[in-house]
Amino acid sequence: MKEEIVSAENVTLAFGKEKNYALSGVSFSIQRGGSIAFIGESGSGKTSMLRILLGLIEPTRGRVRLFGKYLDEVDDEELREIRRACGYIPQDPFGGLPPTLTALEAVMEPLVITRLNVKKTRRERAKELLSSLGIGETLWNRKLIQGFSGGQRQRIMLARALVTDPKLLFADEPTSMQDASTRMDLVNLIRGHRRRGMSLIFVTHDLLLAKVIAERGIVLYSGQMCETGHTGPLLKDPLHPYTMALSAALPRLGKPIEIKTKRRPLPPHWKGCPYFSLCPYASDRCHALPPLKKIGDDRSVACFLYF
Amino acid sequence: MMEISHLSVTYPNGVKAVTDANLMLSPGEIVALVGESGSGKSSLLYASLALLPRGSKTSGEVFLDGMNFLSLPHDRKRQFRWKKISLVLQGSMNSFTPVLAMERQFVEVMQEHLNMKEADAAAKAGELLEEVGLDREFLHRFPHEMSGGQKQRCAIAMALCCNPDYLLADEPTTALDVITQAEIIDLLKRIVKARNMGMLMVTHDLALAASIADKISVMHRSRIVETAERDRIINDPKHPHTASLIRSLRTMEEEH
Repeated sequence: MKEEIVSAENVTLAFGKEKNYALSGVSFSIQRGGSIAFIGESGSGKTSMLRILLGLIEPTRGRVRLFGKYLDEVDDEELREIRRACGYIPQDPFGGLPPTLTALEAVMEPLVITRLNVKKTRRERAKELLSSLGIGETLWNRKLIQGFSGGQRQRIMLARALVTDPKLLFADEPTSMQDASTRMDLVNLIRGHRRRGMSLIFVTHDLLLAKVIAERGIVLYSGQMCETGHTGPLLKDPLHPYTMALSAALPRLGKPIEIKTKRRPLPPHWKGCPYFSLCPYASDRCHALPPLKKIGDDRSVACFLYF
Repeated sequence: MMEISHLSVTYPNGVKAVTDANLMLSPGEIVALVGESGSGKSSLLYASLALLPRGSKTSGEVFLDGMNFLSLPHDRKRQFRWKKISLVLQGSMNSFTPVLAMERQFVEVMQEHLNMKEADAAAKAGELLEEVGLDREFLHRFPHEMSGGQKQRCAIAMALCCNPDYLLADEPTTALDVITQAEIIDLLKRIVKARNMGMLMVTHDLALAASIADKISVMHRSRIVETAERDRIINDPKHPHTASLIRSLRTMEEEH
């Protein structure tokens, strides 16, 4: 049995007075070296899930275990230790970097804070990472406030997250601002660390990117798990109507865009399948909430089409 | 026919953003101008409408059905914007006034540019909303009462207010979810064909360009390096930059 890195049990997050759910009943686990992508569009709950896993917000129900420790049981010192073993790339590259540091200092900073690296090699390590992401020597001593593009800031954030060689990387849409030619540099750097045993939690709206970066995926819609499985089959052979629509809408060279949704208004105080308002296959059965059903060895889907 | 001929743009700080660009757009045709950030694609779009910041230098010509648009005096240019050629901006959906319902915002444009009576303009606004797949009821909504996709549909409807012959669109689907993006792309395609308009769409996403355009122009370091029919660009790219873009997309798609 491999070492467990992350485990989430029935994580639920409610907001507002009417008990709306940003997330309901999300469970999964990752072993050492494993990776999982949370896939969904805005409002799906994927970023909330990440913030719960990071211990930044507490779930209304359910628990999270990181490196074998429940987040609701650890003291401050233990939490700091857990966080030192993690890297995090926030979604917003404009809010996520210290403006007064230079690019090089920003990448060295995590090493200084965690005292993980001998002084002499810090600088070399940071330079190496920045270079591999196409941030060349002329930019190293420029302050972050002095003008870096969103794409460049995103690459600096990745270097900053990886410089400590984390056991677990949390990445929230880390390539959203990259051009096609630089996106693969980020992907390849993340993959290199994964080959050396790093685990990954990755948040994206892009099934194709999920497939390229992560082994397994959880498709979220309106806080519910619609479908889970290996990312390859999720993209190629989606089962849930939402996964089908996501895959069909993805711009690809080899395949024309297709629209596989049918919009209809959601009845008031709706308690049924959250995807009802877009689903082309919706029927009367969908007035109830479909449970997640195991379909194969590594595949589950929450849709009455499979009952 | 819209014809951009030997267009060059230099910004006040001396940066040459567009170098000798040539591009043709026929009625009913969709041309995608694809380039990475800083390639000059947006500069080209704004220069062709004479909408660049003061102090920028533009040389070359833009012909709209034979008329040399860039050489017209300021007030004459203004007469052609909206009516002959119209614009859907990156983030158009966030350019509405938050304090007015949509009806007022549509009516204002039509009163200003078409001298229409208020009641006629309101009726036309309702038709336009239906054309972009929204219920007329949306006329009474404020921008904050709509989703991003609904606002972008409104922005497209507004660009159609004065029945333009040409539509320029700058990254019209950024900040939208994938499914909404697919719907907007499908909508633009249908409108362009139904109205026999010419559309020039600027995007950084070659795969997205391939899903909508008849013809693709690739821009790199201020120059248009290649223009061809969509299938020829995808299957037989001639310029090394185009080839490398295609290759990186194919690697993503084909890997297992």
